[in-house]
Amino acid sequence: MSPREQTGLVENLKELIIGTLRLEDVGPEDIVASEPLFGEGLGLDSIDALELVVAIEREYQVEIPDAEVGRRAFASINALAEFVLEKGAGQQASDAVG
Amino acid sequence: MRWVETTTTVRFNEVDQWGITWYGHYFAWFELARMKVLEQFSLLPEDFTRLGFIAPVVSAQCEFKKPARTNDTIRIRAHLLKPQTASLTFRFEILLQNDGSLIAQGQTVQVLQRLDGTMIYKLSGTLEERVESMIQHFWPDS
Repeated sequence: MSPREQTGLVENLKELIIGTLRLEDVGPEDIVASEPLFGEGLGLDSIDALELVVAIEREYQVEIPDAEVGRRAFASINALAEFVLEKGAGQQASDAVG
Repeated sequence: MRWVETTTTVRFNEVDQWGITWYGHYFAWFELARMKVLEQFSLLPEDFTRLGFIAPVVSAQCEFKKPARTNDTIRIRAHLLKPQTASLTFRFEILLQNDGSLIAQGQTVQVLQRLDGTMIYKLSGTLEERVESMIQHFWPDS
């Protein structure tokens, strides 16, 4: 995957998070791709995690079965992009940004 | 909308010095109705533990519409919202038995954790089957 495609996936994930969690007053540029999604950073909670898991499975056909796996996947947007790519379905989504 | 219902009587120790129910007790009454639901689907706390899980409440909300007073008989009813995620959200209503008026309504959200505290994001196995039966009860057309 080219750097451009990876950037596309990161941007798509930011949009997915903002849309799924209906984050008000947060734009993609406000989300730092290397910062944690939960606790510090974006400050998401356990209910947010459940919603994100459903959205990620719907968009990328990648399962995050529990918080143990989630700890790695949700460490940051960059980590989430890597996780989605590793599980094999990231290509299709990043193709969409051309 | 399908509800599971139970009744109880407001006890003297549940009212405050103004003669009306202290607000925190409404959550204990919600619990009566929720237990009645969970019992039907073998999802009582001890069942959860046996399956290797707990289901802690992470959010609880209540709106108080009318006071309940000592010796009032109240109807407490629970309804499961259709889950979109691996969580259980119950809606509750409490009504006065004598005139059917609404005295409180609220909601609780429970997430699911393994006994070691790890939160689960997807249900599986026996837990999934039992939760699915409960969903079917409240949402027979789904």
